[in-house]
Amino acid sequence: MTLIARRLAGHLARGFVMIIVVATISFFIINNIPGDPMAAQYDKLLQSGMSPEAATQAVKVLYGFQPTGSLWQQYTDYIGGLLHLDLGTSVSRPGQPVLGVLGEAAKWTILPVLGGTLLSFLVGVILGVYAAIKRKSKLGDALAISGSLLHGIPQYVLAMLLVVIFATLIPILPADGPVDIMFEPGFNAGYLGSLAEHAVLPIATYALSAYGGWVLAMKSSVVTVLGDDFILAAELRGMKRSIIFRYIARNAILPLFTILALSLGLLLGGAVFIEKIFNYPGLGWLLIESINTRDYALMGGAFLLITAAVIVANIVADLFYTVIDPRVRSGEDST
Amino acid sequence: MADQAPGVRIDGLTVVYKTPAGELPAVRGISLTLEPGTITGIVGESGSGKSTLALSLLNAVQPPGRIAAGSVEIDGLGDVVGLAGEQLRKARGAHIGYVFQAAQNSLNPLKTVGKQLLDLGRSHGVEDLPGLVREARELLGRMGLDGARVLDSHQHELSGGMRQRVGIMLALVLNAHLVVLDEPTTALDMITQANILKIVREVHAERGLTTLVITHDIGVVAEVADRLAVMYGGRLVEQGPTREVLGAPRHPYTRGLIKAIPRLVGDIDEARALPGRPPTLATVPKEGCVFRERCPQRMDVCDTVDPSVVADGARVVACHAVTVKEHAS
Repeated sequence: MTLIARRLAGHLARGFVMIIVVATISFFIINNIPGDPMAAQYDKLLQSGMSPEAATQAVKVLYGFQPTGSLWQQYTDYIGGLLHLDLGTSVSRPGQPVLGVLGEAAKWTILPVLGGTLLSFLVGVILGVYAAIKRKSKLGDALAISGSLLHGIPQYVLAMLLVVIFATLIPILPADGPVDIMFEPGFNAGYLGSLAEHAVLPIATYALSAYGGWVLAMKSSVVTVLGDDFILAAELRGMKRSIIFRYIARNAILPLFTILALSLGLLLGGAVFIEKIFNYPGLGWLLIESINTRDYALMGGAFLLITAAVIVANIVADLFYTVIDPRVRSGEDST
Repeated sequence: MADQAPGVRIDGLTVVYKTPAGELPAVRGISLTLEPGTITGIVGESGSGKSTLALSLLNAVQPPGRIAAGSVEIDGLGDVVGLAGEQLRKARGAHIGYVFQAAQNSLNPLKTVGKQLLDLGRSHGVEDLPGLVREARELLGRMGLDGARVLDSHQHELSGGMRQRVGIMLALVLNAHLVVLDEPTTALDMITQANILKIVREVHAERGLTTLVITHDIGVVAEVADRLAVMYGGRLVEQGPTREVLGAPRHPYTRGLIKAIPRLVGDIDEARALPGRPPTLATVPKEGCVFRERCPQRMDVCDTVDPSVVADGARVVACHAVTVKEHAS
């Protein structure tokens, strides 16, 4: 256990440094893209017929401040705030802290992403094993082809297909947002049922588009393990098929956990198209909105969240290996 | 389970591999008897079919290969070529122990040796699992290892020599009395080699085993085997008591093999490598003697007629030149 704690401490330190570096880079990049939210607001007010003085005043009232400090000072303020988990205040939604806006959006991203990814992982891995074992039969071929096909369809095309089929042609599932507004949010059957109903299509999209990758990855991993000496050895020692099967599965699934953790981390950044198509106000949707409204603070926060998600996913994957792979465990002992 | 060393009678065994050029024999018409309680060594170059022969003893020739003809009669089991399914699975491990080459990773890298031992016990319906662990510890201790520690180790924590002893333990722990060792000392350093061979000899005697050692190293056979069989191109070209075969080899291939061994003392140039290369599955001649391309005593008859296997007391040779000489004398 102390070993895991030591590893965790190292990872957290490295992760912290990485987050600061990414925050720095995104801060300067965002500051260098053309466009100024206050100028944009000011122009809008001018166009609506306001006098310049009144417009300046209105912008000031709207945002409550005028940026005055140098870029460097803004940067140190930003990083300083970051250390206190303060990502600043949203520009396009005056008065709302960025962290709160992100948190609100995150819940609409996490549910479908987690559901879809875990479902596709489970199904894909199991079918991948069969595709490998039956790779010389028609069933194996069919599985591999289904994997390649689904892997080849872009996620947004798949999403639109599902919408067309299940929400338009045969309207049995909703595709109009995360939940029906007629239900009172909370732990009541109506709300939860509506939540689940609305999640079906997004989850199916994530699951179907990731499924192919899992089938193909697991198939090739199992084929590799099948050629390993210890499988033949177990057979020659008269081990039961079920035990050999477990040996194969456990060894073959190991490399897939890295992919799983990374894809979870990346997907948490939000799948822009999917959330747009299903009207989910998730993180990807928020990112696009923040760019459209030149909401610097929100943009920086969204980028940072994606970074943090990937870093955390990496850390989780690595710690997980420490638990499940004895070779990683003792590798640390010798250093 | 028979508690004595079983005898093994291999008769007319032919194993073919499916290739784009059709089914080609890797082992052709081999007959060999392992007397109960003896150590038999099979020597041959890579590709001579010796590992295929070893796998045939467990009816475990891997696809695209298959046993095309012949039988392998093992006392207490019958003809293993006819076994299949659960019967075959239970015979493996419980009656026949198979020890892998040391360099091969014959253990699941994710589980400790002890856990794999328990998997083995459960696979064979062993009810007294603590007894099995005790037996394994004793065997490992007998081979000079700290049994408890080894059982608690993963494969990557063990050296080559230790892995080999774990392999021997797993082959014997279910009380198998027929043991097949495939290249037991390859990829081990000289000291460990000597150790392993000593262990093989001692364990063989103590437990009353019938042992088959497959190797390309004629020195290993000289060290442990009572009987020696030489394979070339899928055929048994010569066999007999080890001392006699090594002392007075009859087949030109056996002679070439012995000449090719470098001596520790004397001129290094005295060791003479056999000219040419051993045949592969595709280049083994369809008719005539398999060795003729490299044979210094090649005659016309060798090109067309397969030399028949001729027994002379305990010695067996398949060579036209030898037969001719004997007829002449």
